[in-house]
Amino acid sequence: MSGNDPLADLERLIEEFKHSGLRELHARCGDLEVYLSQESGASGLDAPRVSVSAPASGAVAGAAPVAPASPSDAPPAAAPERDWPENASLVRAPYLGTFYRAPKPGSPPYVEIGASVSADTEVCLVEVMKLFTAVRAGTEGRVAEVLASDGELVSAGQPLFVILPE
Amino acid sequence: MALSRLFIANRGEIALRVLRAAQALNLETVIGVSDADRDSMAARLADRRLVLGPGPAAKSYLDARLVVQAARASGCDALHPGYGFLSERAELARLCAEHGITFVGPEADMIEALGDKLRAREMAAAAGVPLVPGSGEIASAADARRIADDIGYPVLLKAAAGGGGRGMVIVNAPDEIEAGFHRASAEALAAFNDGTLFMERFVPEARHVEVQLVGDGKGQVVHFGERDCSVQRRYQKVIEEAPCVAMPGTLRAKLHEAAVNLAKSVHYRNAGTAEFLYDVMRGEIYFIEVNARIQVEHPVSEMVTGRDLVQEQLRVAGGEGLSVTQDDVVLTGHAIECRINAEDPNRDFVPVPGTVTRWRPPEGEGIRLDSHIREGASIPPFYDSMIGKLIVHAETRDAAIDRLIGALDRFEVEGVPTTIPLHREVLRDEHFRTNRIHTRWLEQDLFAAQRMAAE
Repeated sequence: MSGNDPLADLERLIEEFKHSGLRELHARCGDLEVYLSQESGASGLDAPRVSVSAPASGAVAGAAPVAPASPSDAPPAAAPERDWPENASLVRAPYLGTFYRAPKPGSPPYVEIGASVSADTEVCLVEVMKLFTAVRAGTEGRVAEVLASDGELVSAGQPLFVILPE
Repeated sequence: MALSRLFIANRGEIALRVLRAAQALNLETVIGVSDADRDSMAARLADRRLVLGPGPAAKSYLDARLVVQAARASGCDALHPGYGFLSERAELARLCAEHGITFVGPEADMIEALGDKLRAREMAAAAGVPLVPGSGEIASAADARRIADDIGYPVLLKAAAGGGGRGMVIVNAPDEIEAGFHRASAEALAAFNDGTLFMERFVPEARHVEVQLVGDGKGQVVHFGERDCSVQRRYQKVIEEAPCVAMPGTLRAKLHEAAVNLAKSVHYRNAGTAEFLYDVMRGEIYFIEVNARIQVEHPVSEMVTGRDLVQEQLRVAGGEGLSVTQDDVVLTGHAIECRINAEDPNRDFVPVPGTVTRWRPPEGEGIRLDSHIREGASIPPFYDSMIGKLIVHAETRDAAIDRLIGALDRFEVEGVPTTIPLHREVLRDEHFRTNRIHTRWLEQDLFAAQRMAAE
């Protein structure tokens, strides 16, 4: 795979998708999940999923996070659709941007694994082009898993946290 | 001490703008870019390109040591910081000086002094520049209350280290002052690591007017007229124009004089802008701050004066002095600029990175585009969302508005949403046309009218 320039890889995937004649494409590989649609009214990752296997070039894997500590160099093959427990809620990225676990550098994270949250609890920041959005848990429960690492580039709709009922 | 090889420590349209000014002066150019910008237009056109680091700005454009090292390693004798990023960080100017590189900007101490709004106010007061009635540092909520009673409500609490609207709170009445003080102080502390506040009288319907200056550092200062930047969203300028036709001639002359006096009194070196509030009701101007850099909206001043401000900036940095005297600067016609951002007006202006698949800018008489975008260009998610500035020049304000509407109507962009529809709407609005606007007009009136129309 060509993981040197994740953005270029993501761009290439988008270009290929545009000319592929496909209406929708939903691919995931490692931490990265991409949903593309030609329909302007598509509802993103909440839409009925049409699974399309990742291109053989492994372009999607290359689009994984740019943070140095990220697992973007993991083999692109066989990243199975991960199954979340029935009762799990996912907190997803509102848009493509940089994921921050703390309100500012050096501060403690908004939440740690095991923390109890309510729907209004802020769990992270996502920043794109200087616009910071505080993301809320959206549900009551306990943080079971953090799926992205601090400073990582996340795509729109990418799962960031798994919340389980208490 | 003329310059020979310039390091461009920025990206986007301003990197390209600086590159072209440098080329016009026959300077060699080296650009330091992030990995995300390695194929950008400025990177392609520079004599040499160095990749500073990965996309996130903290590891590339915002790393002063890295930037200066790159400038040194590539044999540059001067460095232009553009705007944003490190342009007003004293640290960069200091590092340049330590390494024998000419910084295209003021001295480090001057950047520090002007960056501290309280010190800048003191300088302005010393030069006899009118200030909005206000205070020095406020020690406590009780102190704030006493000062506010003195100034008269509404008042504006501001962070001494502030900018961009952060740490700014409007207080309308005495019973809000304590909560307002604590909120502004907390915001200032979070944003700038400094909770120091001061207070000003709040002018509800003010226009933002600013004077373009260039100083040679030896006491010579020339102004290039004023700009009116009253169309703002969240304290960010959206549309800028020159001159400010809403201001009577006598007041404009007073404005220019105040700005020039201030810059002369501190022997200012570099292009810079003195910002003022224009209280239309009272017919008064109040100093806000000095921006010690070339600004985004400098092209409107270039269009009405026919002068190249970035070349002037390079000349004074190199010790050659200004190419013009005040008498040479003659204002002609009217210019308007709109900032085209990759943002979605239908989703509360959320910035949208992506790839520009179609880019057909308008061309023609009196039309200028400052942009680094071409078809196929990528807009990385790491930096601000501005992808270009469309500027028009015409004989009158009315003619300029018409020309800009026509130009925007012909501007074709695909791949990312842009703020072009917003500009078209503002320019077609009757309040804008008749110039009855103020800095909160866009959000308070135009957007509110849109919401009502949508319901």
